[in-house]
Amino acid sequence: MVEELDAEALRPIPYPDELTQGFWDGVRAHRLCIQRCAKCRHWNHVPTITCYACASEDLAFEPVSGKATVHSWTALIDSPGPGFRNMLPLIVGIVELVEQPRLFLTTNLVNVDPERLKLGMPVEVTYEQLTEDCFLPQFQPVA
Amino acid sequence: MWEFRDKVSVAGVGYSKLSRRPAESLASLTRDAVDAALADAGLTRADLDGIATSPSMPRYGGLRGATEGVDVVTPWHLSEMLHVTEQINWTGSTNGMVTQSLIEGAMAIAAGVCKNVIVYRALHVPEGRYINFEGRYAVGTDQFVAPFGFSMPPAWAAVIMRRYFELYGYTRADFARFIADNRANTCLNPNGYWREKPMVREDYLNARMIADPMSILDCDIPVDGACALLLTSTERARDLRQPPALLSGFAASTFPHPTGTIMTLEDLWEGCEQTARRLWESSGLGPQDIDNAHLYDGFSIFVPIWLEGLGILPRGEGMAFLRDGHGALGGKLPINTGGGALGEGRLHGMSHMAEAVLQVTGRAGARQVPGAKRGVATISNGLVKATAFIFSGDS
Repeated sequence: MVEELDAEALRPIPYPDELTQGFWDGVRAHRLCIQRCAKCRHWNHVPTITCYACASEDLAFEPVSGKATVHSWTALIDSPGPGFRNMLPLIVGIVELVEQPRLFLTTNLVNVDPERLKLGMPVEVTYEQLTEDCFLPQFQPVA
Repeated sequence: MWEFRDKVSVAGVGYSKLSRRPAESLASLTRDAVDAALADAGLTRADLDGIATSPSMPRYGGLRGATEGVDVVTPWHLSEMLHVTEQINWTGSTNGMVTQSLIEGAMAIAAGVCKNVIVYRALHVPEGRYINFEGRYAVGTDQFVAPFGFSMPPAWAAVIMRRYFELYGYTRADFARFIADNRANTCLNPNGYWREKPMVREDYLNARMIADPMSILDCDIPVDGACALLLTSTERARDLRQPPALLSGFAASTFPHPTGTIMTLEDLWEGCEQTARRLWESSGLGPQDIDNAHLYDGFSIFVPIWLEGLGILPRGEGMAFLRDGHGALGGKLPINTGGGALGEGRLHGMSHMAEAVLQVTGRAGARQVPGAKRGVATISNGLVKATAFIFSGDS
């Protein structure tokens, strides 16, 4: 669908589905929950029907610490869509959750001077309200 | 080693005009490229019995055009346009990168299903911004990236470049020479989109930033146009108009994407390494046998990563190699001698293969690498659907 481009344009709103509802429900309650395999205990993100490690379908959401390190980042100068025009430069970060190597989450890095970003910098989750009932997990440097 | 090594060849190369928003339809440009490849080989439409491509429009976040002849040209539509429907024994239409079609075309010839196969890529530049996320909602895997603004491919490449720079202490200044040299190569290529626009290193350093550290000059240039290669058996190719470029080996990656983000530097290295293992095993060759390289540059940062993944250089040293000019024409290993996708235009790897073919058959004109015998072409980023090929001159 193509929306009219207006000043009130929103950022794209995550549209939870059967598989991802638990993640977004957690975020709305200010808890970062990641899907985990009951059989092999592997953490899976993004949520999946079959465990990425052992293919089991016995998966459920469990809270994580919300601690991560910065794997990489970019400062968006060109707007990726109409809803981001007033947010530039916007820092997108790839963070690695401390619970498991290569357990990556895509996020925005907030409350940070881009010049001070470093690989491996410790960050923690914070929550940004996007709409009345939608929050996004964002990451900021550990205080 | 591949049983059919050197038994299938590219015998013809054809290009349409490469431009942006031309009067001609994509259908007509595709026909031009196919007819040019057939003529290059000294063949006619009557000789054609196989057609393969990947007929997709690579558009992110917006409407995906699928109108036949406008946004895409399928092999079935092409065979109707060329009036060859009765003689086509096989068509290939892949969801992967188009270069998978070259593998399939080679197999069709090796299997005796076809004698003369056209593999082509037709690409159209849609109206408006190519990569605007226009939807109100982010569904499927988009819901974990698009709300954060991570919906455009240059940003995906930017996090790779940032990590590479941070790990090894490089900056954009280290990349400037390669980008400027690449443009100089483009200016020697009659097909090159930017052939009349020379540039200097300062132009790169001052280029408009898209997703820091990725600038507009780190992105390939989307064009309307088509490139076609004519495949046949090496035995038949030796009787045709041009010297054959022998397909000495190929590889297709099955290395998975990470799941929580689009790609990481480590995944790209490992994917390129997997592709390289298969390429060297298939061909019985190694990095030391290669004298020209055509490394995918949909985004510039893929070039040093392929250099490293192929085993030509250790991890982290690709950028220094480029910085010191070793990838230029006249350097230790000339890279993207036709200007690649950055300079010649985005044709999803077809032009990388075409350039390898022209080099090893001594047909690269003003940009010819003296004595070029073996060229490698790599396509995409090393992850699943990436491919790599070695083309050799006939001895």
